[in-house]
Parts: sequence; structure tokens; C-alpha cells
Amino acid sequence: MEQAIQTTPIFWIIIAGYFALILGFGSYFARYNKNTNDFFFSGRRFSWWLITMSIVATGVGSHSFLKYSAKAFEHGFSSTMTYMNDWFFLPFFIFGWLPIVYYTRIRSIPDYFERRFNRNVRILATIAILGYMIGYIAIGFLTMGKTLEPLLGWDLYTIIWVVAIIAGIYITFGGQTAVIFTDLAQGFVLIFAGILVFILGINFLGGFDVFWNALPADFKLPLAHFNKPSNFNFVGIFWQDGVAGSVGFLFMNQGLIMRFMATKSVNEGRKAAAFNILFLLPISTVVVSNAGWVGKAISIVTPEKWDASIRLDHVFTQVAALVTSSEIVFAFIIAAVVAALMSTVDTLINAVAAVVINDIYRPIVKNRSDKHYLRAAMYISAGATLLGVIAVSFFDNFPTLYEAHGFFHSTMTPPLVIAIFLGIFWKRYTTLAAVSTFLVGAILMYLGNKYPGGLIGPFDHGIEMDPAHPYSYIRALYNTLVCLASGVVFSFIFTRKVEVKIEKFTAGVIVSAKAHLNNTEQPISIVGRIYYTLVWGFTNVINSFVLNAADEEKLDGITVWTLDKAREMFKGSKPNDTPGEEPIVEWKLEASDESFVRFSQAQMNEMAANVGDLVYLSDKRRWLGGLKSVHSVYAEPHDEDGVVYMTSDLIAAGMFAEGRPLRAEKEM
Amino acid sequence: MHELTFFRTWLPVIYLYVAGGIIFTAGMVIIFKSKSIKLSRPIHKRWFYVLLFGYFYYLGIHTFFTYAALNF
Repeated sequence: MEQAIQTTPIFWIIIAGYFALILGFGSYFARYNKNTNDFFFSGRRFSWWLITMSIVATGVGSHSFLKYSAKAFEHGFSSTMTYMNDWFFLPFFIFGWLPIVYYTRIRSIPDYFERRFNRNVRILATIAILGYMIGYIAIGFLTMGKTLEPLLGWDLYTIIWVVAIIAGIYITFGGQTAVIFTDLAQGFVLIFAGILVFILGINFLGGFDVFWNALPADFKLPLAHFNKPSNFNFVGIFWQDGVAGSVGFLFMNQGLIMRFMATKSVNEGRKAAAFNILFLLPISTVVVSNAGWVGKAISIVTPEKWDASIRLDHVFTQVAALVTSSEIVFAFIIAAVVAALMSTVDTLINAVAAVVINDIYRPIVKNRSDKHYLRAAMYISAGATLLGVIAVSFFDNFPTLYEAHGFFHSTMTPPLVIAIFLGIFWKRYTTLAAVSTFLVGAILMYLGNKYPGGLIGPFDHGIEMDPAHPYSYIRALYNTLVCLASGVVFSFIFTRKVEVKIEKFTAGVIVSAKAHLNNTEQPISIVGRIYYTLVWGFTNVINSFVLNAADEEKLDGITVWTLDKAREMFKGSKPNDTPGEEPIVEWKLEASDESFVRFSQAQMNEMAANVGDLVYLSDKRRWLGGLKSVHSVYAEPHDEDGVVYMTSDLIAAGMFAEGRPLRAEKEM
Repeated sequence: MHELTFFRTWLPVIYLYVAGGIIFTAGMVIIFKSKSIKLSRPIHKRWFYVLLFGYFYYLGIHTFFTYAALNF
């Protein structure tokens, strides 16, 4: 491809400098990774503001400046739709999924499926979740390639390989703490860069009045036309993004879940989620879309300055080049965008490693050292990077990144989303119903893809079918409904009682088939041997899906109906929810082989804490966001007010400095 | 560009907050019935108000910008 935007060596020095700075920043915090728990989950210690800012970079990166600028240029302010429809699912998330994930210490989404159902469902979920994440990584690489394409003039795939190698190296050595801190820095930088483009763009046009008045009313409406055109309409995007996408992002994005698991408490996670959706998403949507709006206004006010032949996915780069009068500012903006995409991809690569290690590798290769699992995680990160690059070619077939992403969400998320959702919120949802959600749901989705006019058509809300990419968005409604119907119908057919009967019946058949096969007194014919082997194999598979169906206790703590139990299991005794104060204390070493903290009786009273309650201790400096902190248990009190006695393991884990006071908070 | 018909202007806003409202209400009902949220706990009471505020906050944003686009 020809280099559309000319650059000098200074531009590339700034890009390289920015990357070095960000990577250095992340690597500095990578030293806080002491084990796989830190590598994947950052030790459950951070404040809400740190997590919410680090989510900005993941969200903005994955939803990308490029694709929203393209849609903003084409369709106006309605490009903001996808960022402004996440609130509807928040009750489900902050009072359903988040406490379940946190209190049950689920390490991955497939881990949830094993606890809720059984090992076989976990395998199905692992396959689905890995496919989802690899697809997401591929879209991230494709976006980065398209950002740099007009600047480098290289072949798209050469660019993708180069950025993949950089991303792979970084995540391999960084881990989750590094990603959180890199994203924290980038969250601020991205918002600044996006707002800067908007201000410079308005200035370029000659003021806000010129910008506002240049745009037609249709362009300024915040939601798209109800059902036109087929490649961008309100109702399709509502079901694809507002429903499948929002639930997918909140409930099955392993990278995001790992962020919430890194918060110091469930309440901090709730604050992070609410603040992000209420304030940061509306800002983020302006940040990622404004280049398209400014570009449209420039093309109307000063058409001679606008290259009308430009490809839609290059609108952002074109606007940034036009409105920034200095190459240094332009380089900074491009570096911020590419680095944000890198963060998104890194989060996902880290998440793939977490799923593979915890769901596949650890159950097979047991009882190895943490160092061994960390090394394996690094190899898996490299493998995920490679698979992501290979998957890019599939998404490159769509006209724009937005449509590629839309199709991806509509197709990949419904089975998992429905299985997670029914698993959390519906007690009657059984194992065989979960299997049906995946398998029958997938078959019905395949049929919908094969016969879109006949099957998806009845749900199209009047959207015209594009034969090249039929129902890219509204297929999410059909896919969600067929998966939901499979789950609900099969829950009524295969109730828990029926599953118990199937378990007993198949166990009997297995014993009987085995007896025939092992009968040495009356050997059976070849045909008989094949028959009994098949019967034995088939019933074994069926039996493995309904194993322990009668065990209702396995639902304790993993549905929204048993959350009190989850809290109790988390603490190990009945939670103490009496509100208390948060005193500042000095720490002193207590010599003991056990792990605990001791406060004075007066301070225990101040915190409304009892022996055995959980406590969170952090460096007094709030701006550290919990980087230096630790969780522990209250032991018997002493009588020295203002002092906490701690064992050496806690001091090391909290990385507490000599003479630095601590803030103490009772958890529960 | 589209004509400013009902399908282009207010129908998407109505659909978003009716369909979204059904989902939101279902979520609120489930977390109340399951006792995941307990208004007897002050911290949960605050969250209940935050959740309601968020719904009307977004409804307000979309209504305001639709009105502004059509009238200013």
C-alpha cells in the first residue's frame, strides 16, 4: 500500500519513545508479581478508581478510535450508541455476577461452569471462551494494522506481525499487575488525546458554532434510524451491542473479570463498574467518535482540505493529521491510540493464558511449582498471540472493522452469555440444559446463518437483508433467542429429577455392558463385543454429563439465590456487617509461623470487628490505590492503641515500608 | 441522509428505554427476590438509588440530545 500520510524520523522517534515509556512503566510494576495469583489477578488489592481508569484503556482500545471514527463520519452522533446502553444490565452484574465471582474465588469463566454444572460443561465453555478471546485478539491486531497502514505504507500483514511480536514480548513478561498499571496510565492519556483532537478540530473549523451549524439535524441525533440502513441501524445494534455485547463484555470478558477480581472488595468493584458506566463511558464515546464528527464538518466547511477518496477505517488518522499543526502532537496521538490497542490485546492475551493454565494445563499437570506454571503461562501467551494473528484474515473480509466486530459479537457471545446468565439467575437450569444451550443453540445458529431470510427474517424489525453480510447485527436477537429457548425448554425436559434417573440408568447400563465385555466364562462374539463397547462408551459419555445431579449443595454460593452462603464460605464464618471506622495505625512485627494481625481492643471496637473477621490493611497514602496492601484475619487483641502487630509474611506480601502508617478496614 | 420521521427521531429512544427498561426491571426484581440487595443495609440502599439514578440519567441524556438535534 502507498504511504498516504508523510512522516519524518521525529514522528517515529516519538512513537518509539512513547512505547518505551509505557512498557517501562508496566515493567516497573511487574515486579509486584510474586506468584500466579499476582500474575493473573493482582492479589485482590486495588482501589476502585485505579481499576475503573485501567478499564478505560481496555474498553476504549477494544472499541477503538478507528471503527467509531469511521461510523461517526458516516452516521454522526449515533456512533455513541454502543457506549451508552450498558446500564440496563448493571443490577445483574453488580448484585449478581460480581459477588459470585469475587466470593467464590472463581479463577475463570470455565471454572464457574464446572462448579455450577460439571467438568464436561467446563470443557464446552473453555472451547467457546477461547474462541471468543482469540477472535477479539485478532480484531485488535487488525485495528492496529489499519491505524498504522496509511503511515507506514507497508503491507497490512507485515504491520500486524510486527505489533504482534511487541505485544507478545510485553505481556509474556508483564502479567496482570503490569497490564493494570499500563492501562491506568493509558486511560488518562487516551482521554487527554481524544479530547485534544476534538479541541484542535473545533479550532481548525473556526469554533463550536461553525462545527454545530455545519452538521445536519439527522447527523446530530444520538441514536441511529430505527431500521435503516442494514449496515448501521438502531434496533440491530441494540440487540447486537446493547444486549449481546454488553452482557458479553460484563459477564464473559475474562480480561474484565480479572480486573474486578483485582479490586480490594466487592463494593470497590461495584464502584468501579458504576463510575465507569456513568461517567467514563460517555466521555470515552466522545473521545473515540469526535474525529469522525470533525472530519464530516471539515468535509462540509472546507471540502478542498478533505481527501474524499479516503477509506472509512482511515478517517481517524486523516483527521488527526489535518487538525494537529505539529508532527509531535500528531505522533503523540497516534502513539496513544496504538498503545491503547496494545493494552486491550495484552489484557486478552493474559486472559487466554489464565484460562489455559487454570482450565486445561493445571488439571492435567498437577502439583508443580508456581514458577513452572508462570513459565507455561508465558509460552501460552506467545501461542495466543500467534493464533490471534492467524485469525486476522477472517475479519479482514468485512467492509469495516465495525461490521466485523458486530458480526463477531452477534455470533460468538449468545451461547455463553445465555449459559452464564441462566446459570447465575435460574436455579432450575440443569446440566443437560446447559449442554443443549451450547450444542442445540449452535445448531440453530448455524441454520440461521445458512437460511437467514427464513429464520432470522421474522425477527428483523423491518431491516433490509444485505445478501453479502445478511443481518450482521439483528442476528444477535435470533441467536440469543434460540440459545435461550434451548436452555429453557431443555431445563423443563431434563429436570434435576430426570437427570438423577438418567444417572442411575446409565450407571446400570455401564455395569451391565462392562460385565458382558469382561465375561470370561461365556465369551461374546465380535459383533457382540463391538455392540457392548459402543453401549459402554455412549452411556459413559451420557453419565459423565449427569454425574452428581442430585447434589443440590453444589449450587451453594454460585447462584444469585445463595449469595449469603457465598459470603459465608468466603469468610469461613458468619459475616459481620456492622459498620465501623477505618483507623490509621503503625505496624510492628509479630514473631509467629501463622498469618494474622492483632489490634488493640479499643480499635477493634472502633472498627466494630471481632476475632476471626477479615481485615484489609493498606498503606495510608490513598493515591497508591492499594498497591501496597494485604488481607488478613483479626486475632486476639492486645492493649497498645494505634499499633497493629503483623506477622512477617503479611509485611512482605503487603510490601509495607518501615515507618509508613497503615489504614485498617474491616472487610466482613 | 434520512428524513426526520418518527422512525428516525423518537422511536429509537422509546424502544431503547422500553426494551432496556424491561431488562433493567427484571434485573432489579431478581436481585430483590434473591435478597442479593437488602435495603436494610445502608450501603445497599445507596446502591439502589444509584441504580435508579443511572437509568434516568441515561434517559435524560438521550432525550436532551434528541431534542437539541431537532431544535438547535
